[in-house]
Amino acid sequence: MAQKEFSVVGKATPRIDGFERVTGKAEYTGDVQLPGMLYARVLRSPHPHAKILSIDTSKAEKLPGVKAIVHSFNTQVTWASGGLTQKRMIFNNPVRYVGDAVAAVAATDRYIAEDALELIEVKYEKLPYVLDAAAALKSDAPKIYPKGNLSVGDGRVTAPIREQWGDVEKGFKEADKVFEDTYISKHVNNAQMERRVSVAKWDGAKLTVYASTQGISNARGDIAKALDLPLSRVRVVCKYMGAGFGNKNQAQDYDMMTAVLAKTAGQPVKLEFTREDDFIGMHGRWASEQHYKVGVKKDGTITAVELNAITNMGAYRKQSGDLTGCDFYNIPNYKKVVSPTHTNTVVAANYRAPAYPQSVFGFASMLDQIAFDLGVNPYDMFLKNRVRVSKGKSQFTSNEMEACIVEGAKKIGWQEKWHPAGASKGAKLHGIGMALGGYPFRLGLGAATIRLNPDATAHVIVGVVDIGTGAKSTMAIIAAEALGIPLDQIQLASGDTDVTPYSIGESSSRTTSFTGTAVIAAAEDVRKQIFAVAARELEAKPEELDLKNGIVFLKSNPGQKMPLVKAIRKVESEIIGRATTNPTWPEGFDGKCFAAHFCEVEVDRFTGQVRLTRYVAAHDSGTIINRLTATSQVKGGVVQGIGMAFTEELLIDRPTATPINPNYRDAKVPTHLEVPEIEVLFVDASDPYGPFGGKPVGEPPITASVGTIANAIFNATGKRFKELPITPDKILRAIQV
Amino acid sequence: MDDKKGKGVSRRDFLKRVGAGSVGAAVISKGLLDAPGADAYPTEAVEPAKGRSIVSLKVNGKAYRIEVQHRQTLAEVLRDELGLTGTRIGCDRGECGACTVIIDGRNMYSCSQLAVWMSGKEILTVEGLAKGDKLDPIQQAFIDHDGPQCGFCTSGQIMSGKALLLRNPSPSEAQARRALSGNLCRCGNYNREVEAVLAAAKAR
Repeated sequence: MAQKEFSVVGKATPRIDGFERVTGKAEYTGDVQLPGMLYARVLRSPHPHAKILSIDTSKAEKLPGVKAIVHSFNTQVTWASGGLTQKRMIFNNPVRYVGDAVAAVAATDRYIAEDALELIEVKYEKLPYVLDAAAALKSDAPKIYPKGNLSVGDGRVTAPIREQWGDVEKGFKEADKVFEDTYISKHVNNAQMERRVSVAKWDGAKLTVYASTQGISNARGDIAKALDLPLSRVRVVCKYMGAGFGNKNQAQDYDMMTAVLAKTAGQPVKLEFTREDDFIGMHGRWASEQHYKVGVKKDGTITAVELNAITNMGAYRKQSGDLTGCDFYNIPNYKKVVSPTHTNTVVAANYRAPAYPQSVFGFASMLDQIAFDLGVNPYDMFLKNRVRVSKGKSQFTSNEMEACIVEGAKKIGWQEKWHPAGASKGAKLHGIGMALGGYPFRLGLGAATIRLNPDATAHVIVGVVDIGTGAKSTMAIIAAEALGIPLDQIQLASGDTDVTPYSIGESSSRTTSFTGTAVIAAAEDVRKQIFAVAARELEAKPEELDLKNGIVFLKSNPGQKMPLVKAIRKVESEIIGRATTNPTWPEGFDGKCFAAHFCEVEVDRFTGQVRLTRYVAAHDSGTIINRLTATSQVKGGVVQGIGMAFTEELLIDRPTATPINPNYRDAKVPTHLEVPEIEVLFVDASDPYGPFGGKPVGEPPITASVGTIANAIFNATGKRFKELPITPDKILRAIQV
Repeated sequence: MDDKKGKGVSRRDFLKRVGAGSVGAAVISKGLLDAPGADAYPTEAVEPAKGRSIVSLKVNGKAYRIEVQHRQTLAEVLRDELGLTGTRIGCDRGECGACTVIIDGRNMYSCSQLAVWMSGKEILTVEGLAKGDKLDPIQQAFIDHDGPQCGFCTSGQIMSGKALLLRNPSPSEAQARRALSGNLCRCGNYNREVEAVLAAAKAR
């Protein structure tokens, strides 16, 4: 479907909740104030690995204002989504990293809760610990779990993660040259602006949790399971959400802590993480050590890739730990072995496109280096090897990677600006680089209800929360388009499990596809009911009718029409449409979004400082539902990549195993000053399985960014940086040699 | 907690160092004592408890006399006592700027200002920008240019932008960026926020 056929889809539409967001009226979880509400704080382990022998709370309990103290000796609650392979409690004994939760206190104000933490006496028996993933896999390393530190466990996922197709040995034999190298990425924190926060209250046996979650339905399920409550007795509400980038999926330990504290105290409780809690108490992106072996023909065509890698999951394996940066290339023979490994460090889990930017950095650097060694222009290298087949076997339902590469390169002026790496001279070295990215486009379970009111306005009832992507607006736009009524006639009811149907949650870039598909189906249900009524009035068959802009008309004769309001009046009540959809790919097909990024840098030869001078991001995300918010998504993803490429790294003081930069200033997230204008280009695309042809936008933008920047620095300096972040000191050391 | 090392100065440590709090005292917030015209009442009318003081200040043009804990920050008082939750707290340690308000014409981090320092000050928060339903041009520009993604930093970005426009009605792009540089946006929406401030300048 060409975009011009749409009335709302494909335009640049301001958010439907923009007014609330710019006036301060948007109610975030931390803004919820309940009568008699207590404030909670969390005590965390100062040791990387220790058995807790005793917890003495007697002094803390005597502090006036303290109402409840919970810890591993009085509270045994399993945090099901906290560990995929090992059973993880909300308070663990032994504690396994500096920052592992030990106790939580609820008191009449925040200060008393903080004072009480200092009065809790914990006796620890220190255990041996290990900080590095490679060291943790050695046979004599301290064991964090009985089975050892490779994250095997007995859970839903395995270790190592293996994937293969073709025959790599055959592929390497066919190669003219075989290259091997190792790339390293570090742990970086999601660092979303809204600290983690939860408010819980009990009304008899019913628990309400005002959560800061990316998915209210899954959060409800997790909380019900953890506290052994029926789903009907758990209500999860999230009206506005201050982002998460993957670290607020489902329910988190603090949601359960808050619920238990509220139960114990008999009063509502608000638990706010401090910014330091947020950096060390939850998780960031997994660090990795990636060893590649790549076989190529003389012209750069890949014949085989073997990846052996270790990912550092910290003390618990909350998510996969995979590396998937090879997904964007055509690799006839492939073998991957990734070992997610436990160490006594901060947990690593989902951060926007969890397995991508770090491995795109590794593999795109690898290919860029091979292109240099072969004397091939990187543009030709990437274009030649771009992915055509999914996982070595499936067809893509749509694939505009070629257009992304061609149009992005044209926009930045690749052919005019590119020069061999290291050819730039002078005080400021110019460089240009590129890399490929994208993200899976998935199909799955969605649900929506649409209530068409007697005045022809509509309520769209969906379980989404808008974590910043613009999902609420996207749902409203899809509904307006599918129903055939103006966008300003649509209200969205969302973010409350007592009211809204199931939604997968805003993670893994699935909302537009999963819930958007259901919104279209619910709208079709509404239209069917309308057409049944209107058909009698217009003396036509229902299937001959259409509805656009609030008018029902005969498709073959648009002059034969009636206003929607009049049709609804015939029903004498509101019209409810609903749908649950769960589409799947046809056999042999798979979905993906694609991206090609390009940037130019200027490296100061005397300070090692890098200035990003230009950035072009070209994306195939199918039909763009809302060009305004989609463009913002791309810009934002690139900015996070800028932080990862240049500055961000969780530093751990080795003698104490303690993170030393768990705050914004020292974590060095990008500011207004480091970010150039990011030029966003959506190539003409449409996918037959996406709602109105749309594919995801949320995660793809970060995937290619780090590799793009790294390759531009190589082009400027002629030096290959194989470890993130690429800081001025590393650059200076390399170029002064 | 004694063997925690290598931490920066937290807001709490900072407050302790300035000797603000009587640690552990039982405190029940008396909150808002009076609203409009509160200045007319003498300070002695209510005897504050230990570790607390009465502060007279103006917020969004409205006079307040409130009893605050010495260790309470302006951000906490705005949010918890005055119900002005549009001022967000992102780090509570003077790094992120989500809590930015305008104090006597200057944009400042309200998490790093003690409430007791606010006597006689005029404070403008995001709630004070619109006149009824009529948005300030900078708010409208933030909607039109998609200034908020998650929106959590938005109030702070808007207040820093507003403070800039108050002192410089037609800033250059570089000036706008510089003026907003104390406001982090982890959604990475920096292009949009600068765009919005420049558009607001043109709309005046």
